[in-house]
Amino acid sequence: MKIHFSLLVLCSFVFIACSNKSMVRYDALSEPLKKDGFPGAISKVQEEKEDLYGDNTLFLYHFDLATLYHYNGDYKKSAAEFEKAKQVYEDLYTKSVTNEAASVVTNDNVRPYRARPFEILALYEMNIVNYLAMKDIDGALVEAKASDIALQALYQKDNDKTNDAGYLRYLIGLVYEMEGERDNAAIAYYKTAKAYAEEGMPLPEEAKAFIKNTLEKEGRADDLKSIGLANANAPMIVPMAAEAGNGEIVIIGYAGHSAILGEWMLSGTYVRGGVLNVMGKNPQTGKVDGLTIPFPATAVGSHGGTTFSVTIAIPERKDVPHVVEGFEVRIDEKRLPYKPEVYVDNTQQLVKNLKQERSTTLGRTAVRVITRTIAAQQAKKAMETDNIFLNLLTSIGTDVAAGQLEQADLRVALFLPHQVRMARVPAKPGTHTVKVLATNSYGGAVKEYTYTVNVKAGGKSVIVVPAIR
Amino acid sequence: MSKILRLFVLMAAMIALVACSGGGKKVTRIESDSVTDLSGKWNDTDSRLVAEEMIQDCIARPWYNKLLNTKNGELPTVVIGSVRNKSHEHINVETFIKDMERALINSGKVDFVANAEERGELRAELASQSGNATEETRKEAGQEIGADLMLTGSLNSIVDQEGGEQVVFYQVDLQLVDIQTHKTVWIGDKKIKKYMSRSSVKM
Repeated sequence: MKIHFSLLVLCSFVFIACSNKSMVRYDALSEPLKKDGFPGAISKVQEEKEDLYGDNTLFLYHFDLATLYHYNGDYKKSAAEFEKAKQVYEDLYTKSVTNEAASVVTNDNVRPYRARPFEILALYEMNIVNYLAMKDIDGALVEAKASDIALQALYQKDNDKTNDAGYLRYLIGLVYEMEGERDNAAIAYYKTAKAYAEEGMPLPEEAKAFIKNTLEKEGRADDLKSIGLANANAPMIVPMAAEAGNGEIVIIGYAGHSAILGEWMLSGTYVRGGVLNVMGKNPQTGKVDGLTIPFPATAVGSHGGTTFSVTIAIPERKDVPHVVEGFEVRIDEKRLPYKPEVYVDNTQQLVKNLKQERSTTLGRTAVRVITRTIAAQQAKKAMETDNIFLNLLTSIGTDVAAGQLEQADLRVALFLPHQVRMARVPAKPGTHTVKVLATNSYGGAVKEYTYTVNVKAGGKSVIVVPAIR
Repeated sequence: MSKILRLFVLMAAMIALVACSGGGKKVTRIESDSVTDLSGKWNDTDSRLVAEEMIQDCIARPWYNKLLNTKNGELPTVVIGSVRNKSHEHINVETFIKDMERALINSGKVDFVANAEERGELRAELASQSGNATEETRKEAGQEIGADLMLTGSLNSIVDQEGGEQVVFYQVDLQLVDIQTHKTVWIGDKKIKKYMSRSSVKM
């Protein structure tokens, strides 16, 4: 009996050691990011790979590192890390029965992290920008084609949970345009408009103009009509100016810091054969909210009647403080600024993903917690002795071990921007000074970024503004 | 102890061992020309075999003897231009170009001159020699051999996938163009089709 109990406790601690990294990851990395900027965060991620990520979270290790390199302007290193993240994602296509079973008796952190759909989209979006920033159009084209295949695979895998990705489609269109493949650009732009409609997100005005211009020139009047842009009131002067012997400066700005995941601990009772009633303080709202989960006794092979105290932990949105909400772009000190529009809202994407995953997460959590609680109760009963003091210790020990195992899977990309904003500014061939002012929600200045950009006739020069503060 | 508890403890113990143990690593040296397919992506074997087959096809075609006659038996000189990667994979085109250069040189049927990038480096060296090397060892500028033909091409791919199955079709297109007349003297292509499947579950 003692051997079995020891084994149970040993297993619990082994699992705890394997799985509690996501609780500390952001806290450990936000400090060097704040103090030493992107290079500081990069060093910390690399130095503490094992402690902060571990083997089960390898995708996020490469993804976070790639994102930080991207912001730091190390585009080649960023692309290399994104490739590694892709490889990890691909390798995890095959699910391990042992890992899945392990998560039922402990928590979801023991499963290898497989990436959320919006992280896969962000991976390709940033990687296309990596190649564009390096002026490697062939490389960007490879990424554009690979992202198309990845989107298709996402559809096939999670058809209900995956919408087409407007911003990614728009970037693909941009790459095809740079490559001179106007027919492919037109198709990608057409899909962009459809994707924004599917997502229920407004199509940026500037994108409307470029899409309309390309589809009109490619003789796709029917497509234009079908996406409702045939009579759209878009700023057509922008693409026309870009084409009139000029080039373009494409500003891609990352504004603010996307929300991450916090743990929502809920405690309550489970009535055998009935429901699970739990309550706890929501980490996002700060209010005490409750959940009621119907849970039939047959699910764990028990019989109705008895009531147990249970604690469950589920992931919930947790906002990260940030100040940057927008940008003002001035080319060569011109008075009127361009204001890049929102193309992606990653916080919205995370909230949507949580909503889609909630019922599955709750189902898995309920099965896990109730199975464990019943097993703990039976363990206590089996280990009962004549010594009251020893019984009390065993009971507390078993409850603590079972309670410690309950941890929400908080794994998510830590450094995504809150919003991706973009502007395509027509510019005459030559060298230009681009000043990008990152602004807060009141329009006040937060930080100014200055770039010297060389523009070729018919070319597009991409600059990245990493204002994730 | 109840059956449920025993089963739970046993499961937990087994999973603890599997989930938290690291995998072993084994390295074995293999021949550089052996055929290997691990991920199904474009690899060194594809690069080498395609380059060899296409160059063999290229120099066996009628244009060769025709040009040889025009040049009174003097070997035609070839330069390799750009080979663009238009596939969905980041492929190191440089190794493919090197494979083609090797196949061309080893055929003994053409002369071969440095490509644009290498020429730049050679010219810089030549310029450096003119001010620094001794007169006896200094190489003269303006003595380069102009190529007769340029080999260019592209690598494309089409992917079809469903669940754990994927078919990748690669097509390499090469063309040989007369630099003087811009006449295309040879067009070749090589197709590779790969089927890959993977299981959605493992132990």
